[in-house]
Amino acid sequence: MALFSTEVYQNEHLPDGGTDVNAIVRIGVQDAGAAGSDGAAGEIIIIDCSGSMGQRSMMAARQAAMVALDNILDGTYFAVVSGTHEAYLAYPIVQSGPGMVQMTPRTRREAKDAISRLVADGGTAIGRWLALALALFNSMGGRLAQKHALLLTDGADEHETPEQLDAAIRACIGQFQCDCRGVGTYWVVSEVRKISRALMGTLDIIPEPSMMAAEFARIMQTAMNRGVSSANLRVWVPQGAQLLFVRQVSPTVEDLTNQGQPVNPLTADFPTGAWGDEERDYHVSVRLPAKAVGQEQLAARVQLVVADQPRTQGMVKAVWSNDDNLTAQINNEVAHYTGQTELAAAIQEGLAAKQSGDLSTATSKLGRAVQLATETGNREATAKLRKVVDVVDPGSGTVRLKRNVSKADEMALDTASTKTTRTRQPGAEQPEE
Amino acid sequence: MSDQSTSQPVPEPAAAPIESTTWAQPPAASDRAAGWVQPTAGTARRLYGSTEAKQWQPSPVLAARAEREAAAAPVAGAQAPGPAANLAPVRTFTPTVQSCPRCGGSIDFDGYCETCGAKAPSVREHFEESPANWVAGVCDRGIRHPRNEDALALDSTPDIGGRAVLVVCDGVSMSADSDVASLAAARAAVGYLASRADWNWDLAALEPGSVTRRLLTDAAQVANAAVLDNSDLFEASPASCTLAMGLVSGRRLLAATLGDSRVYWLPDDGAALLLSTDDSVAQEQIRAGMEREAAETGIHGHVITKWLGRDAPEIDPNVAGALAEGPGWLLVCSDGLWNYASDPALMSRLVSHFSGVDADPLRLARALVGWANEQGGHDNITVALARVDRSADATPLGPPEPLGYEIDIPTARTRPVASGGPNPTG
Repeated sequence: MALFSTEVYQNEHLPDGGTDVNAIVRIGVQDAGAAGSDGAAGEIIIIDCSGSMGQRSMMAARQAAMVALDNILDGTYFAVVSGTHEAYLAYPIVQSGPGMVQMTPRTRREAKDAISRLVADGGTAIGRWLALALALFNSMGGRLAQKHALLLTDGADEHETPEQLDAAIRACIGQFQCDCRGVGTYWVVSEVRKISRALMGTLDIIPEPSMMAAEFARIMQTAMNRGVSSANLRVWVPQGAQLLFVRQVSPTVEDLTNQGQPVNPLTADFPTGAWGDEERDYHVSVRLPAKAVGQEQLAARVQLVVADQPRTQGMVKAVWSNDDNLTAQINNEVAHYTGQTELAAAIQEGLAAKQSGDLSTATSKLGRAVQLATETGNREATAKLRKVVDVVDPGSGTVRLKRNVSKADEMALDTASTKTTRTRQPGAEQPEE
Repeated sequence: MSDQSTSQPVPEPAAAPIESTTWAQPPAASDRAAGWVQPTAGTARRLYGSTEAKQWQPSPVLAARAEREAAAAPVAGAQAPGPAANLAPVRTFTPTVQSCPRCGGSIDFDGYCETCGAKAPSVREHFEESPANWVAGVCDRGIRHPRNEDALALDSTPDIGGRAVLVVCDGVSMSADSDVASLAAARAAVGYLASRADWNWDLAALEPGSVTRRLLTDAAQVANAAVLDNSDLFEASPASCTLAMGLVSGRRLLAATLGDSRVYWLPDDGAALLLSTDDSVAQEQIRAGMEREAAETGIHGHVITKWLGRDAPEIDPNVAGALAEGPGWLLVCSDGLWNYASDPALMSRLVSHFSGVDADPLRLARALVGWANEQGGHDNITVALARVDRSADATPLGPPEPLGYEIDIPTARTRPVASGGPNPTG
C-alpha cells in the first residue's frame, strides 16, 4: 500500500488587512508499487512513421520501441500505433473487439516482429494518432485503471489543421497520460507541449536518434513504477475565498488553475495523473476576506485523493498579526518557486521573441532568465541558457544573444524551461529526512 | 527547596502509600489492588496534567482536620473505602465542538470549519455552565489574549431560592500552565464547598476564626492545593491564579476572594454592592485616597497582592456577607468584565440593561461576555450569575443535603501500585 505524505511551506502570518495566502504544498508518495497494482495498466507506444523520419531515425525508432516493450511489465495491456498522416494499429493485429492485448513473452515477440516491419512513409497528423490511441484505450471498456502513452514525433503537425489537433487533444484530456518526445529539430516545441501539458506528460528533445532507446527505456520504467494509477489534487477554500491559482511547481511548472473539476462549491479536483515514488510541489494561492488581528483560519485544505478517498492532507493557514517581524517574511519555498515560475515564462517568451525577430525583447527576457536561474540556483537552466546567450553579468541579467546557436540547443532550452530545481537550502528548521 | 523530583516516584518505606494523591487517608488495600484510588472528601485532584503522580504534601490544617474526621466518622459515605474500590476511574474528557460558532458549518477532523475555515474554538477557550435554571456562567478567552486562563466552576440546588456556589479564577499570565491551574482551583473550591459547606451561615460572625470564615479559608486552601497539584512546581514562574467564591443560600450571600476577581450583589431595587475587596495595588491606592477609576486604570491597576500558587503569600481570603433584601443578581466575575464597569452602580445598570432583554442567567452571562468583547475583550472574561429571589424566604434551611453534585474528577493514579515496592508494572 502506498504511503502518502504532505508538507506545507508558508508564512501564515498576514498583516492587518492582508488577504493573499501563498503556500507550497509538497506531496510525497512512497511504496507506490508497480503499475497495475491498483487496477490493470495499459500502455500504447505511438511511433512517428512519416517519410521525414528517414532510414536512420526510423531504425533508431524501431529499436527504441522494442526496448520500450522490454520494459513493459508482463500482464500490462499494450498496443503499438504507427503514425503518418493517418494512424495505423501496428500491433495487435485485430479487426474488432479489444484493441490491446496483455504483455506476455509471446505477444512481446509478436509486437517486436510487427515493429520491425514499420517503414517511414507519408505525412504527419498527430491528432489522428491520439484519436486512435484513445479509441484503443476505450476498446478495453472500463478494464484499465491506468492509461499511458508514449508519443514520438520528428516533424511539425503538417497534415491537419491546428484546430483538428486541438480537438483531438481535448478529446483525450483525462482519458490517458502521454509523454512526448521529439527527435531531431524539425518538430515544433510549442505544438507538442500542448499535448504533453494537456495529457499530463513530460516533454523533451532527443537531439540524436542514437539516444532514443535509452530515453524510451527510462520513460517506460518510470511509467511502470507508477503504482498509484490516478490521483487528484483536491483543494478546498473557505466560503467567500477565491482560489487565485494552483500550480505544480516541481518537478516541472504546470499551471493547473483552469483544470479544476468542481467537487462542491468550495472544493475542486485537479487531475495529477499517476504517481510513482516521488514528490511533487504545488503552489496554492488563496485570497481571503481580511479578518481582525489575532484571528486564525484555514485558508485551504490540500489533499491528494485516490479513488475519491483523501490519502493525505496539507493545511494552509492564515493568522492575522500586527507584528511586522512575522508578517514581512516571505517563505523561502514560496519565493523560490515564484522565481522558478517566472524563469520558465522568461525563457519561453524570450525564445518566442527571438523566433519572431524581436531581438530586444528576446535579449531582455533571456537576460532576466539568466538572472533568475542564477538566483534560484537552477544549474540546468543556466547551462542551457549559456548555449543561447553570452552572459555579461548574471547578477544584473546583462546578456548578448549568440550569433550562431544550434537549433537543438534552443529547443533543449525551450523544453527544459519548465523544469524546476528544489530550493538550494531546505528551511533551516526543516531537517531533511 | 526539596531536591526530590516531583515527576519521579520516590521510594518510600513500604508501609507508606506510594504516590498517594489523596490527602485524607492512605488508600485502602482493596483500592491498591484495583489500581485506583478514589479521591476523598470531594476534592478535585489533578484535572489535567502529567500522568506521573506527584508527592502530595497536605496542608497542615487540612491534614489535621482530615485525620480528625477520618477517626471520628470512619463510615461517612464520601470516605468509605468499600464502594471506592468498585468505582471505575473518572477522567476528564475534553468535549469537541461539533459545529462552527461563526457560520454553523460542521467542524472537520482537522479542527477547522468545513465551510468558513474558522478554527474551531477549543472548549477551554469558551465554555458555559448552568447547573440550574437560576445559576449560570460563561468563561471566554476574550479577543486580545491568545489563551483563556480564566476558569469557572458552579454548583447549585435545582430550584431558585436554594443554594449555589459560584467560583471564578483568573490565571495569572506568564506561566506555562495557569489555564490548567485556574480550572483545577475553581473546580476544587466548588467541590469542597458543595460537599462540606454548612449552609446556615451566621452572617454576623465572619471574623477570623469563625466557623464560616474557616470554611472559606479551607476552600481557598483546597483550591491552592489544586493549583500546586496541577502545575509544574519547578517552573521558574509558577502557575498562579485569583480566586473569587460567591455563595448563595436562600437570601444569604457570602463572598470570599483572593486577588482581583470580584463578587457583586446587584439587587433589582436598591444600591448595588461590591461585596468583595480586591487584593491589588489599586485597592491599596484607593485606601490611601486615590480615585477608584484612576487607581484601577493606572499602571499598577492589575497588580495583585494575593493569589493562589506555589509562591502565594498568604491563603487568607477577604470574606464578606450580605442578606438580600429583595430579588437581584449575585455576580462573580473576573477583571475581563469589571474593567469596563468597575463601579457597582454602573455594573448594576449594565446587568439590568441586559436582564431587561433576557433574564435567563445563561443568556445574560453570554450577553455580558459579548458586551465585554465589544469593549475590546482585552482580557479573558468570566461571568457567573445566580438569581436571588424573595421567595427564597420560604425555603427552610435544614441540615445540608447532598447536592447531587458530581464533579468530573480524574484520579491521578494511572498505574497499579505494586504491593511490594515503588516499581509499578509498565
